[in-house]
Amino acid sequence: MAKPLIVCRDLSIIYNKGKSNEFKALTGVNTDIYEGEYIILFGASGSGKSTLMYSIQGSLPPGEGTLLIGGDDIYSYPPSERVYFQRYVMGIIFQSFNLIPSLSVIDNVALPMIFCSADKVTRNRRAQSLLDRFGVGMVSHKVPSMLSGGQQQRVSVARSMVNDPKILLADEPTGNLDSIATQQVMDKIDEINTFDRRTIIMVSHDAAHLSYAHRVYYLKDGVIVREVVNPQRKQIKPVREGETIVTELEQLAHLYPYDSIDSLRIKSMVNFLTQDYTLDQLSRLERAIGFFIKGKIDRDAFIKALVLPLERGGVEMDEKIAREMARRTDLLLHQADDIRRFRAKKNNPGVFFSQHKFAERLRDHMLGAFRIKLSKVQDDNLVELVADRVTGVIEEDEFNSRLMSGLRGHGLGLSEREADDLTRYFEKLIAQGVDVSYKN
Amino acid sequence: MRIQDLAQLSTRAFKTNPLRTWLTILGMGVGTGAVVVLVGLGFGLQQIILEQIVFGETLLSLGVSTTGAQNLKLDTETVAKFEAMPEVLDAAPMARFPALVTYKGLTGNVFIQGVEPPYLRYAGVSVIAGETYTDADLGDNSSVMISPAVLKLFGVEKPESFIGQKVSFRILIPANDGTNSNTEIVLEKEYSVRGVMKDDGTLNAIMMLPELRNYVGVDEYERIQVRVKSGQELPVVEKKLIADGYRVTALSKTVEQASKIFQGIQIVLATFGGIALLVSAIGMFNTMTVTLLERTKEIGIMRTIGAAPNDVKYLFVSESIIVGFLGGISGIVMGVGFGITINVFLNFIAGQFGGKAVTLFSFPFTFLAFIAIFSAVVGYLTGIFPARRASTLNPLDAIRYE
Repeated sequence: MAKPLIVCRDLSIIYNKGKSNEFKALTGVNTDIYEGEYIILFGASGSGKSTLMYSIQGSLPPGEGTLLIGGDDIYSYPPSERVYFQRYVMGIIFQSFNLIPSLSVIDNVALPMIFCSADKVTRNRRAQSLLDRFGVGMVSHKVPSMLSGGQQQRVSVARSMVNDPKILLADEPTGNLDSIATQQVMDKIDEINTFDRRTIIMVSHDAAHLSYAHRVYYLKDGVIVREVVNPQRKQIKPVREGETIVTELEQLAHLYPYDSIDSLRIKSMVNFLTQDYTLDQLSRLERAIGFFIKGKIDRDAFIKALVLPLERGGVEMDEKIAREMARRTDLLLHQADDIRRFRAKKNNPGVFFSQHKFAERLRDHMLGAFRIKLSKVQDDNLVELVADRVTGVIEEDEFNSRLMSGLRGHGLGLSEREADDLTRYFEKLIAQGVDVSYKN
Repeated sequence: MRIQDLAQLSTRAFKTNPLRTWLTILGMGVGTGAVVVLVGLGFGLQQIILEQIVFGETLLSLGVSTTGAQNLKLDTETVAKFEAMPEVLDAAPMARFPALVTYKGLTGNVFIQGVEPPYLRYAGVSVIAGETYTDADLGDNSSVMISPAVLKLFGVEKPESFIGQKVSFRILIPANDGTNSNTEIVLEKEYSVRGVMKDDGTLNAIMMLPELRNYVGVDEYERIQVRVKSGQELPVVEKKLIADGYRVTALSKTVEQASKIFQGIQIVLATFGGIALLVSAIGMFNTMTVTLLERTKEIGIMRTIGAAPNDVKYLFVSESIIVGFLGGISGIVMGVGFGITINVFLNFIAGQFGGKAVTLFSFPFTFLAFIAIFSAVVGYLTGIFPARRASTLNPLDAIRYE
């Protein structure tokens, strides 16, 4: 069996030891990281994930326990010799890029080679080829401040690879980037793992990154609370029979990365009690609905995706149920359009009449869904309620209670059951129909 | 790290922070400039003095005379005895008699000295007007050299105008009968003045010894100049002669003493300059410390991507050496420029008032080279402590420093 590249045994790191502000950043950490693995150290800030990474990097000597890299205890060497590891074994990228502002991009990338006394021609050729590879070759003679964040981070990825290290350490590399740049950088790091077969150790608190990794170490308060294997990637770490098994909890962990192992167990149980479908089926269903809502697939393709067996990427549902789901989804989406239309007229007083018409149509959608008959007064009051709710004058709670209250108070006097049904359906319509901008 | 990369990396400050870097250099420059000017003044003064007294063979000569207490006599045998000494190259005697000099009817007292030409060289006698005797003039019997005091005696102001004038002498020989009376020997011809000595205030006239012997018998010499073979033998011969009971004077001693005095003056001047230099060095040290704080994060970055502690140290040290050295160079430029300006100015003034041109500031090349190297050393010293601190920073703390 292959030996792990990085071994931590009972590793503890204590800041300010012996002082009044002594702080234990890591306690009894055990990790085995194998060559070629993509490892994410995941946790909230202050969980000790960066501490662990910098300890592996060689800047934080362990207080207790052992840390071996390729079988070498790097902290047994004096700092002047420890740089060997930082030069030839490890490359590093940071959240804040940490390029040197007074040097050109190409000199920044070549800087690790400068410390290794490489001659100018060799190192510039190497740096330029890496810059080209990561799509920033054309800016090699600018200074870093002239580059976008995404470009700077790709430059620093190039810098980390310039001495062809075995291990790439990344300290929240996308923390300062927008989503497009994040995607680019994550893809490059993934490429380094899958194509160059380098070991990646990434510190992150972004759950979206977890699917890249082979394994994720979850840290909390300086302790590794669990180690999660990504079932979507072929594992490099040898799995000993009966020791490590991939469970449903790993899947749940990807959906709810911040939950503790206990709450994941609870979620698993709740899922069992309330759902006929497995977690896997649910996540497939989510994807199919996602495509359908966005209009990327039509109704037939949607039904087909639901009916197809699991091994062919479908949800493996009964066709009758699938058709009913498609019908209801379609209906809801169409009706939700009226919400959108209503709100589009909101700020235009001249078209009050048409707005009223949309409110009436929304009322009809609701009543149609539940086959409830109303009097003329109830009808009018419901239209008013719909308008109030869609314009945001009243909240969900008030909507519900007005449905139940007497006619005199502009209510409808419905039973609690009827009121809840209508409220729930109408809220679904609103959820689909309102364009929510979280930025405001 | 290779030297050229080190140089490139450590001169980045000229690009990133040119104003502060050049001001630091200027600060060092003013400090070293002060040293250059003051020490240059010391050199200049020393040179002015020494130029007056230093002649090649004079420094290798000893003046020997009798103390009068012992029964020592300086005669032809003594000269032969001195010449026989292994360390001695030559010995030249001088005989002296009181005399009366007459010029255009005016008569005054002088001492007439009979010498051979080498004596003039050994004793460092030179002229301010006319010419001195050379070895070919030994047989000369028609000319004399006189001291400026004689000119004063006759009321002549310009030494040049006295050259070629005719004077006559009467030598006074003290009678050996115990009385104060003298025998007067009249030199019955006129001598033309060939040169005016650059001399002290005594009334002297010099003629060739053979010519003097034509009129008086010279049994005893006043003084013998002993020329030794080399500088190392000077003290040896001096010691021997003193042991024999002679009185010995050496010009080299005077020069030595003058040099010592001027070294003292230079030390004092250099101390003042050194204070200025110290102040600018402290300023530079301060700048380097601030630079360290400013670059803390950069140091952290470099350390995490593979710079050894020594790489960081060399970066800082070489930067401060470069700044120090450039400071030294600018100081030399400023100091020498200042000194030369003053020299030119003084000479212009002197020229206007008919005085003699002097070089008040002097800058020997070795001194300037020393200053350039010394300023680099000062740069090194101001850089080494920040550099050491930089190299021992924990990379992680450094990289998180804002």
